[in-house]
Amino acid sequence: MHVRQLSGAPAAKVVTALPLRVRGLRVRAGGRELLRGIDVDFPAGQVTAVVGPTGCGKTTLLRALNRLHDDSTGLQVSGSVELAGADIYRDLGLREVRRRIGMLFQRPNPFPQSIQENVVIGARVHGLTGRSGARELAEARLREVGLWDAVKDRLGGNPYRLSGGQQQLLCLARALAVQPDVLLLDEPTSSLDPWATAQIEQLIRDLRERVTVVIVSHNLSQVARVADQVLFMVAGERVEVADVQAFFRHPSDPRTRRYVAGEAMTLPAMEERN
Amino acid sequence: MRRTAADLGFWAACWLALALVVGPAAWIVIGLVRKTWPVLSVDLLLKTTAQGGLQNALFGTLVLAAGVLILAAPIGIGAGVYMAEFASQRQASLFRFVSEVLAGIPSIVVGYAGYELLAIALGWGYSLLGGILALTALVVPYVVKSTEAALQQVPTSLREGAAALGLPRWLMLWKVLLPPALPGVLTGLVVALAISTGETAPLLYTANFSDANPPVQLLHHPVGYLTYVVYDYVQLPSARAHQLANAAATFTLFLLLLLIVLSRLLAARARRRTEQMGL
Repeated sequence: MHVRQLSGAPAAKVVTALPLRVRGLRVRAGGRELLRGIDVDFPAGQVTAVVGPTGCGKTTLLRALNRLHDDSTGLQVSGSVELAGADIYRDLGLREVRRRIGMLFQRPNPFPQSIQENVVIGARVHGLTGRSGARELAEARLREVGLWDAVKDRLGGNPYRLSGGQQQLLCLARALAVQPDVLLLDEPTSSLDPWATAQIEQLIRDLRERVTVVIVSHNLSQVARVADQVLFMVAGERVEVADVQAFFRHPSDPRTRRYVAGEAMTLPAMEERN
Repeated sequence: MRRTAADLGFWAACWLALALVVGPAAWIVIGLVRKTWPVLSVDLLLKTTAQGGLQNALFGTLVLAAGVLILAAPIGIGAGVYMAEFASQRQASLFRFVSEVLAGIPSIVVGYAGYELLAIALGWGYSLLGGILALTALVVPYVVKSTEAALQQVPTSLREGAAALGLPRWLMLWKVLLPPALPGVLTGLVVALAISTGETAPLLYTANFSDANPPVQLLHHPVGYLTYVVYDYVQLPSARAHQLANAAATFTLFLLLLLIVLSRLLAARARRRTEQMGL
């Protein structure tokens, strides 16, 4: 198995990630409209940040992108979400959707199994590895997320003994082990310390060629650090989709301007990145 | 001043209430142990009730409990899992209603129904299996309820994590939901065992009683058990019979105590596990 190093960018970037295209996406709960017809393209190999005030439907949108609403009764989803041209609600089976579009949650949620089992369980069930390749796969994914040295002596151990940041990295390794085309991140660092946050952000940027990333974030400086494109939402509606530079420097909508101005500390982060 | 008097009165009332709970319980335990202590001998464990011991009754109680465990565990856990994970809301509420009705049937009625159905209609006569089935019918609702509750207490985040990874339902259940739910499920099972160990009524018409060891057969032979000795031997005129009744009550009590302690340990373990997951 090929193992990528964290540092040292590959010479030629070959984008193998796939684009996600959303049209007229609506989510209703009873009489309430949580999403009012969202149109947005998540380009292959880019990081798109979804931002907006609390309750604007960011998480609802994210969960519609891998059909997580299918499991909750009383929610109706309409519109289309196409992964490289195939509608995930009509053309693809649920389990295939879940394999190809992975998700990382606000708080780490390792399974009550050993550390190694956490990494390989998905890959095994989707037929991506046999019993014999499990250890190799675990090592490759754990190295990829930078957790290998911390856990190599306790692969059979309890994942809940790890720190919060390490648990989230383990969940990321678990999501990567099934070779997803898209990764959905729902405020993945909101419960983590700055060091773990930095590590996850670096990984998000490194992963871009292989997976298209959609990240919900409340933290505009994080958006400035990791995103290529920004989707700004208010009250279940798309306000604007813009390149990250344009979003912070020349927002076209007054609501975006106000939202960005409320978070002035994002600008230094932008300067640093350029 | 008045406030102090009111406080004092309140505390006195609380202490009295506590004493009224603890007092009778302690009185029962101490009284039983004191009466049983002098007659405690190896003979109690080695001789049958016909010979003046409790061996057959103790053995019968344990075999009945084992039978209940074997039947109630798969039925109750299976039904609980189905209700928590697979049933639609309407199915689940109907099922829950039926289960609550079953739990509310007086145990003597369960025994009588068992007699009509098993002993008479099916022609089993008084039997071990009849006793086991009657007890199982009585305790299965508890196992269902505790299994359902234990699964519902598993953090949603684990469920979502498994769903988002595309794990099939059975695997999610087996590898993600069941491990944290297991102590809760086992606690329910132990409580069910405790209830069945303390019952007499469902057994009177189904297992009846035998003062000797029956042949190793599920049907057609009555079986002895401790609670019958308590129920019946107090009414006999001899002092030895009264001693046996006391000893049987003490044995039953200690079996129950053992099961309750076990269920407490399991419950504590369940709490620790959920806290550890910090979800």
